[in-house]
This record gives sequence, C-alpha cells and structure tokens, in this order.
Amino acid sequence: MVGKRSKGAIVALVVIAAMLALPSAQSLPVGISGVQESGCNCHGAVPSDSVVASIDGLPESYNYSEAYELTVSFQGGPSQEGNVNQGGFHLWASEGALSVNDATSQLYNQNEVGHTDAGNDQLSWTVTWTAPATDKNVDFVLHVNSVNGNADGAGGGTSGDMWSKVTISLGGPIEVLEAADPFVVLGVLIIVSASLLAITLAYVFYRKDPDAFDWDHFAPWLADWMTSTDHKKIGTLYFVAGLFFLGVGGIMAMIIRIQLSVPGNDFLTQEQYNQFFTLHGTTMIFLAAMPMINGFANWMIPLQLGAADLALPRINAMSFWLQPFAALLIFTGVFSGHGADTGWTGYAPYVVSEGAHYGTTMWAAGQIMLVASSTLTGINFLTTMAVMRAPGMGWMQMPLFSWSILVANVMLFLSIPAFGVGLIQVYLDRVVGTAFYDIAAGGDPLLWSHLFWYFGHPEVYVVVVPSFGIISEVIATSSRRSIFGYRSMVYAMAGIGIVAFIVYGHHMFTSGMSPTLRFVTMLTTMLVAVPTGIKVFNWLMTMHGGSLVYRTHTLWALGFLVTFTLGGISGMFFPSIAMDTHLHESYFVVAHFHYVLVGGTVFGFFAGIYYWWPKATGKMLSEKLGVLHFLTAFVSYNALFWPMHRLGVWGMTRRHHTYFVTTEEALGSLPMEAAGWNMFITVSAFLFFFSNFILVFNMIVSSIRGEDAPDDPWGGWSFEWMTSSPPPAHTLYKLNDGSWGLPTLKDANEHIANEPGWLSSWFQRLLVTDEDTEEESH
Amino acid sequence: MAHYKIMGQDPYWMNFYGLMILTLMEVLAVGADLGPAANSLGTEEKVVTLWILTIIAIPKFIMIAAIFMHLYGDEDSGILTMTALFPAFFILIMILFVGLTHPNAASGLPDWCRPGNYGL
Amino acid sequence: MSYDDPHHPSPWGPHDWKHGSPHNSWAPFILSMGVAIFLFTLAGAFKWGEFQGWGKIPLIFVGLGVVGFGLLVWWRQDISFGVNGEVFEPKSAGAPFQNIDIRKVAMWVFLMSEMMVFTSLFSTYMRYRFGIASCQTVFESGEWVEGAAVTCFEPASHLIASSWFHIAPGAINTFALIISSFTIVQALRYAKMRDIDEDVRRKKITRYLGSTWFLAILFLTMKMIEWFLGFPLPEFLHEFNHGDSTINSLYTEGYLINADHYQHHEYDTHYLESNGHGLDHDSDLYAMMEAGSHPGGHMMANIQVSATTFYVTTGTHGAHVFGGIIGLSYMTLKAARGGYTPDNAVSIEYFGLYWHFVDLVWVLVFPFFYLY
Repeated sequence: MVGKRSKGAIVALVVIAAMLALPSAQSLPVGISGVQESGCNCHGAVPSDSVVASIDGLPESYNYSEAYELTVSFQGGPSQEGNVNQGGFHLWASEGALSVNDATSQLYNQNEVGHTDAGNDQLSWTVTWTAPATDKNVDFVLHVNSVNGNADGAGGGTSGDMWSKVTISLGGPIEVLEAADPFVVLGVLIIVSASLLAITLAYVFYRKDPDAFDWDHFAPWLADWMTSTDHKKIGTLYFVAGLFFLGVGGIMAMIIRIQLSVPGNDFLTQEQYNQFFTLHGTTMIFLAAMPMINGFANWMIPLQLGAADLALPRINAMSFWLQPFAALLIFTGVFSGHGADTGWTGYAPYVVSEGAHYGTTMWAAGQIMLVASSTLTGINFLTTMAVMRAPGMGWMQMPLFSWSILVANVMLFLSIPAFGVGLIQVYLDRVVGTAFYDIAAGGDPLLWSHLFWYFGHPEVYVVVVPSFGIISEVIATSSRRSIFGYRSMVYAMAGIGIVAFIVYGHHMFTSGMSPTLRFVTMLTTMLVAVPTGIKVFNWLMTMHGGSLVYRTHTLWALGFLVTFTLGGISGMFFPSIAMDTHLHESYFVVAHFHYVLVGGTVFGFFAGIYYWWPKATGKMLSEKLGVLHFLTAFVSYNALFWPMHRLGVWGMTRRHHTYFVTTEEALGSLPMEAAGWNMFITVSAFLFFFSNFILVFNMIVSSIRGEDAPDDPWGGWSFEWMTSSPPPAHTLYKLNDGSWGLPTLKDANEHIANEPGWLSSWFQRLLVTDEDTEEESH
Repeated sequence: MAHYKIMGQDPYWMNFYGLMILTLMEVLAVGADLGPAANSLGTEEKVVTLWILTIIAIPKFIMIAAIFMHLYGDEDSGILTMTALFPAFFILIMILFVGLTHPNAASGLPDWCRPGNYGL
Repeated sequence: MSYDDPHHPSPWGPHDWKHGSPHNSWAPFILSMGVAIFLFTLAGAFKWGEFQGWGKIPLIFVGLGVVGFGLLVWWRQDISFGVNGEVFEPKSAGAPFQNIDIRKVAMWVFLMSEMMVFTSLFSTYMRYRFGIASCQTVFESGEWVEGAAVTCFEPASHLIASSWFHIAPGAINTFALIISSFTIVQALRYAKMRDIDEDVRRKKITRYLGSTWFLAILFLTMKMIEWFLGFPLPEFLHEFNHGDSTINSLYTEGYLINADHYQHHEYDTHYLESNGHGLDHDSDLYAMMEAGSHPGGHMMANIQVSATTFYVTTGTHGAHVFGGIIGLSYMTLKAARGGYTPDNAVSIEYFGLYWHFVDLVWVLVFPFFYLY
C-alpha cells in the first residue's frame, strides 16, 4: 500500500519535472537564431521542395583568406520570366566575410547578404566571400524565395510564393572536428555528477541492509529523508547539496579557465562566457557556500548548545527544500543557451534589458526563493541561540562556532530583504513591465547597485564568518587549550557584523554614486579590517600559548591563516578610492576575493569537514589521504590564484571573454608574459580541481571501511563531543555521572571561565526582572 | 494581556479611539489649506504637510506597538522592545544610503564634487 | 518505519503534539515545489508586461494549487494543536528571553526582517520621489512641449487626495485595519479567559476572528475599487464632484505602470483656465504664457516610475494582508471547531503580532503614499 502510494507520488513528480523541462528542451541552440532557421518570410511564403537552391563557386576546402566568387541561384517554384518580381535570397556564412559585387545584393553585416529591390527580378546573384584565417568549419545557409509575381506594383503580393533553403558545410585546409559546445559539456558533466550522486545514494542504502534492497524498503527511507525535520538529516542534505554544487561551480570554473588559457581563444563565445561566469558566481555563493554553512550549522549548533533540535524544525526543512527547487529555476535558463549573462551581481539596466537573456528572469526567480530560504534560516538560528541554550550556558559561554553562526545569521536576515526587494523589482520589470530600472522612464540603475550591495557586502561576511568560527574551534582543539581572548573574539565578530552594513559602497566607487557616501565608505572600509585583524592575532596567540597537534584539520586551519591573511591584505588596497579606480574590475579583485572566499571560506569548510566528519558519521577519515589532499590542494590553489594579482595590476580585465597580449604598450592589452601566466593558472586550476577529488575519495573510503570513531577523537570541549559518534536520532549527551540526557553547562569540561562583564551585568539588570534566574556566573 | 487601564477604561478601546482621532487629524491636515502657514514659515505647503504627517505617524506607530503588540506593561516587554528596536540602526543606514542619495536629490555639494564630474 | 504509528505520525498529518514538533512533514517539500512552479509559470504568462495568452494561465494555477496543497498538509498537522491537552509551547531557557514562548521570540525576529523588506521599498520610493522632479513642478516650470512626453514623478496622492470622495476608500481601509487590530486583540483576550463557558468562548473567538477576516477582505476590496473599479456617486453628491457621477479608479485615470503618455486634466492649461482655479500666477509657465513664449496645452508625462513604486509598495502591503487572510481562514475554521483554549491562546497572539505589524506598515504607507 505504502509502496504504491509513494510510487504514484514519484511518477507525479517526474511528470511535473518533465513538464517544466519540456519548454526549455525545445530551445536548445542549433545556431544563431533568426533567419537561418525560420526562413525569410518577409514575403509570407510557404516552404516547398519544388524550389531548389544552390551555391556555386565554393571550393572543396577553402584556403586562408582567399576570396571566392559565389553564385547563389534557384530553380523551380512559381517564378517565371516576365513577372514583376521573380525571387529573392538571403545567405548567411558562419565565418569569413561576405561582400557584394553590385546593386542587386546588399550586405547586412559581414556574415549576411541579401537581395535589394533592384535585385528582385532575377534567379541568381553573385557575391564574394573571403575565407577566414582560422581553421574553423564554415556553415553556409542559403534561403531563396521563388516569387509568383502577382503583386500589383511595389510592395509585392505574398500569396503563392515559395521558399527553400540549402545548408553547406565547408572545411579549411586542416581537418577540424566540430568544436564542443560548452553547454553540452556542462550539461553532460552535471548529468554525470548527478548520476554518480544517485548511484552513491543507492549504494549507501544498499549497505545499510543488503537483504532489504527493494522498493518497499527504499520508498520509506527516501520519504524519511524528503520529509525529515531533524536537524541532523537536514544538515546532511544541505551538505551533500552544497558539495554537489561546489563541484558544478568548479566545472564551470574549469570551462572558464580553458577559455582563458590562451589569448584570443574561441572555445566560448562572448555570449557563452558571460553566462558561465554568472553561473559560476551564483552557484558558488548561493548553491555551494551558503548550503555548506547551513550544513555545518544545522548539524553542530543544536549539539553545541545542548539543545534537542532547532527552534522551528518544519521551517528548517522548508529552508532546505526551497534551495534545490531554486537551483532548478536558476539552471533552467542555462540549458536553453539563454542563461543569465549579467554577472552574479546582475547590474541594472542590463539585467532588465531585452539584451539580457531570457534565463535572467529565472535566475531572479530562483534567487527570490533563496532569499526566502535564507530569511527563514536566519530567524530559526537566531531564535535557537537566543532561547535554547543549555541551562547555565550564558551568552559568553557559547562556543565560538555558535557565535559565528549567530553573527552570520543576524547579518543575513537583516540584509537579505534588500536583495529580495531588488530581485522582485527585476523580476517584475522583466515579467510584468514595471519601470523600476527603465532609464527612459526615470529609473535609476544605481538603486539596484545600492540594494544589491547593501546585501552583497554583509553576504560576503556571512559566508566567511562561520569559517572564522570553525577555525577558532579547530585551532583551540589542536593547540590543546582554550581560545585566546574569547571575549575579544566575540566582540570582534559582533563588530564585523555591525560595520559590514556601512561599507558596501566600496563595491560602487566607480559607479558615480554620491561623493559623500564614497568618502564615508572609504573610512569605514578601512575600519572593518581591524576586528578581523584582532581575530588573526588571537588565533596566533592561541597557538603560541598552546601545544599544536598536526592533524589534517590543523593543517587546513594553518593554511587558512596564511591565505585568508593574504586575501585580507590584498583587500586593503580597495578602500582607497584612487587605488580602487585602477583595480576595479581587474583580476586583482578576482585574486582578492578568491583568496578570501576559497582560501578563507572553503579552507575553513575543509577544516570543518576533517574535524567533524567522525562526529557526524561515526567513521574516521584517513589522515594520510587528508595530508595528501592538503598538500596538493594548497600548493595548486596558490599557484592558481597568486599570479592573478600580477595580471590585475597589468590591467587584465575580469568578465571579458578573452584578452590580448602585445609587445607594444597599447591601451587595453597585456605584456607577453600574461599569456604564459594564464596558461599556468589554467593548469593549476585543473590540478586544484582534481586534488579535491582526494577528499571525495577519502569520504567514500571512510564510509565503506573507515575506522570507527570514538565520541571525542580530538579532545574537544564543546557539547558536541559529549554525544556519541554519530549522535542518536534524539540527541543524548553523556553526562558526568555516566547517564545520558540533555546537558547543563556544569556537565561540560568548560575551560572558558568568564565572569559576566559590566556590559552583560547591566544588560541583565535592565531586562531580566525575574528574581530567580538560572544564570550561573562563575 | 494588558493589566493596566488608560484613563480608567479598557486600554484597547482607548487605543482604538486615540488612533481614530489621529487618523482623522491626518486626513484633515491634507484637506486643509496650509498656504498661509507655509508662507509664514518660509517653506512650501507640501513640506509642512510632510512634517505634520510624520509627526502624527510617530505616535500612531508607538501606540500600536506599545498597546496592541503588548510592548508596554508586560513582563517580557523590556527585551521584546529592544528586539523590535534593534533594526533601527540598519533601517537608518538604508534610508540614508539608499533612499537619500539620488544624484538629483537636493544636494548642497558644489559642482566639482558632484557625481560624474571627473575633470577630464 | 510504519506510518500511523503513534510514535511516528504520518508526514501527511494529523500530528500528536504531545510528542513535540513533527519529525517528518511533506509540507516543506510540496510548498517549495509549488513556489518554484508558480514563479516559473508566471514568468511564462507575461513578458515585459505583455500578456502571452490565456493558455499560460492554467499552469499558474497548478503552481498555486501545489502551494495550497502544501499549506493543507501543514495545517493538517497543526489543527490538533491545543486540543485535548496536546500543546507544545516550549519557553526560552536563557537570558535575556527567559520564560518567553519560543515562538513569540521567533515571530518578533521575523518581524525584524519584514521591517527591512518595507524599509527597502520605502527607500526605493524615497530615492525616486526626491530624485525625480514632480510633474507639478515640471508643469509649472514650462519646460515641456505638448505632444512630447516628459519624465516626471506624479505621486498617487495627486489623484487620491484630490477630493474627500477619492480618499474615502483609503480612509475606510485605515479604519478597517485599526478595527481589525482591535478585534484580533479581543479574540486573544477571550481565548485567554479561564472563567468562561467553553461554548461562549468558542463563539466569541470565532466571531472576533471572523470579523478580522471580514475586515481584511474589506481592505482588499476597497483597494481593488480604488485601483481598478472606481465607484458611482448618488445623485445628490454629484455637485460636490464637479458634476461627475463616478469616482474614477486609478486605472481609469491612466495611472498605470506602463503610462508613458499620461495626460491629466491638472496639466492641461485649457482645462485649468475654464474650470475655476486656473494657473498659479507665481509659476514660470504663467509668466511664459503671458509673454507668449509658451503656447500652453496639455502636458504629456511618463509616470511609469511613480506608478511602479506606488503599486508595488502598496501591493506588497496588500500581499501581506492577503497572507494574513489565508492565516485567518485557517484560524477561524479552527476556532469554530473549538480549537482555541487558554492553553494555546498564544497562537492567536503570534498571528496578532503579525497583523499589528501589517497595520503598522499601513500607518506609514497611508500618509506617505496616499496623502503626501
């Protein structure tokens, strides 16, 4: 009974998914849209096989840059001698340059020629085609119109005309294979990854109980995962989804790097390149980084607080499920070849112009759902941390990872409504026709920039602050002491949280925004580096005063310290408006943010994975593979992103699909070494990408035959180490007296002794009127 | 629930009457001719209207929050009021940075400092 | 794992709240799918403001249907909450929120994010209102030519606050929301009352919640009248309306998001001269017309931005009212079944907080969009 019901549900889901996919499936690209496919129906004509079109004068294979006289002609159809008009043509060539010989033809652009009014009365025309100097295959598409001449005078009647077309492919001196369509490559890789994921899931299910590998057991197991509100399951779902999209974003990055490996490359056209960097950014930030943070947070926050679950479990599930569906919407546009090409920042007015691809609307719609998801997450975590800490755990006894998630979520849910409103404005502009960003109507593109960056800057801190929390935990545990300067760490994070909102203008220094605001932002941006610096010094002091054990998570934390600091320092060039004017939109920016995002956020994630994997899965990861992963990834990562600083200073522009090098000093081009460095970066990118598969391999091997993990493999002191590995479905903690239950702070080996400071004492007196509070001050 | 009384009556009824009266004042202020008042203050009529509307909106806001939303007089009022007022900083920032920075909005800055003027 | 086992209630509902919050629920998955379908199909039905045909509309309803279905599953799990002692209303453990219901804290946090939503909308409005010259100013400056649309900001208040009749729907809406805030508080009061007959309590709560629901519907109806329908005036009032028999809606007056050739009689020099007040003698336009350097005429304006900010901001508020109506529908039905007792009266309080917030936003929207 159950099996049948859920079978039906799955079928219904597949049908709905197919319904959604079908419209996009129709629009797979077969070439540049327009005349080539639909025919020149300016005469309202009907296609017919009785009209035969032909092109004469083409060689077997062309020679570079040689000019050929082509005669395009047709036979058949209603056209006759003596008609007012006899026929017309349109010729399109994918490469090379067309030109006209006489007044009977006209040149629309170097790829397209057609007939003129004067050339309306013939069956053949002569044009010249100059072959390209590349080795690409050339496609010719000729449309002819056979006119029956029933027109009375100028204008021409259209009834009875017939048209036909012919397509010819021509190769150059060297036989070249069809160039791979990057979208096909991306699509295939995504399908392959998804299939691997599905197979892995099926295998995981099989391993649970080989005898029960059938639908009747699978359906409830799957349904449990799809409907669960348990924070541990939801954390796993977030994590797996985040890792999957980290891979997809990485694939996109590889494709971008292939395009940039040599100057003047044409692996990606400009249109395609724009879509790839847009998707790369959006995928990495919203579909990879945020879900992975939520994965860690969902797993660890209730465990660290000693709570049974989050405050609002069903809303937590809602936050998760909004994401895969949002990802579907965002990617819908991509596979049609018309994905968003606006950059992940989606600047107006391009984002609402008809020039931006149709997929931009779906990109906006998907992100609206992600805004809703993030808002619900923020509310959930803030409430949980405010109200569900274990008895005796005051604010200043929370572990630093919990603090980092708190600060990140406060920033997130206060800033993301601005983004949501902006996205709704873009969506409405594109769909319903409102005029938020319509220049002619008085719309102001800077409004989008303000709304976007009001969110965008706190967002990048949202993405990096949880890594700060993870690193604090890892360094403290690895140094076998408590973190140095816990109180200042908390204040530093809170300070970052507040100041993050007043620095966003530094993304807009070159936009022409209010000069007063530019000045204010310059000062505040310089200010925001201070709390981060405090944190770095605290981490250093923690290690100095402790005794470091070198596990893999320790290595990643040390790597983080190096790369994040470098990224932070490179970021300090930007507050100066003068420097920013030169460096804006250059690879220096790309280097900076990849240093802080990959070297900061992602390295923090890796540290967190190695640190908490035993707790979550009950198996140990292999230290050998972990060290190998670290060494290869860390070295290739630096080789990948460090040279970008130099490229940026030379003036290599970001978001341009290609670049050119020259020996001369010319505006807009780079010195000859830039080409070599770009190739070096591309090779390093591939090494970095593949080095991360060591981690995936490690995870798989650990799941299959990893060593069983003890409750507390690393000697950590927060509450999550008091549970079993993995914790049971209803989390239970091992208390000091040997029993199992929910803990109070007295039960933990807490090494963070903090008297409430004068601020917290004042706050308490101000707000808490209850005489007998359970606050324990040590 | 509210355990106090306003002027001896049920606080919700009194709040309701008060809000009605304030709304009526708002509508009358718009309908009235404030020309002479504006001239005597040296500004335009619509600026005076704006001030009056803002000054009436503030007590309405506080009355709804304090009495209907139980932010006054409950045991948990203190912390919930702080929670409600916490976004004030962020709201102020957004209004200042986003709402009031349109290049054509009134600006006392000299020409050479206005957007787009780079002296090239 | 079998369903219908008391320890593992079905993810389709109903749920036994004695065991706490549901561990499994289909609602989040279904709701997310519905939202995605809705956004996808809506974008298919309109492109750049052009309607793409009625064939696309049924799919939008599929999306809305899926959302509705998800809500039904959610409510099915919630309907037994508070009945027969099945209450799960944990209280906060630590400072500074101790002993406050967790869901109350969550609702206040949610309201904080909603404040930011409306702040963004207001900031957009402020930016454009102060940044684009108002049509009145442009008209009186004489810097326009008849037949060429000039971009300017025409606040909706110009139409709405032009007469007592025009402002009536807005004023009724204000009263409706304030009264509804009052009725929801009364519903809460009766829910919390202990020394009262069960039946009386049930009837009172249902009536008050029902009135709130009705007032919310009235709000949206008045808004539709104001936006699209307009309303006729009885005979004896015609003379107060310049002889017009109807009060035109914004739609009829041409105040639309695609209005790039908006012409209102306020900006027609001929109309002003023949209908009483005439041009302001202090204005540049008057001076130019007297001097003969401006022929006067009917100014054409591009007011798309003004209409957009008005409709989207007041529309977002209306959407929140609509969300409240959905919640109220559930609550009124639950109240009619006797679902609210002193044990779970706080549920009404949570909704009340949301509802008062909606009223608060209206307190700001009404003067600044309708009157100013």
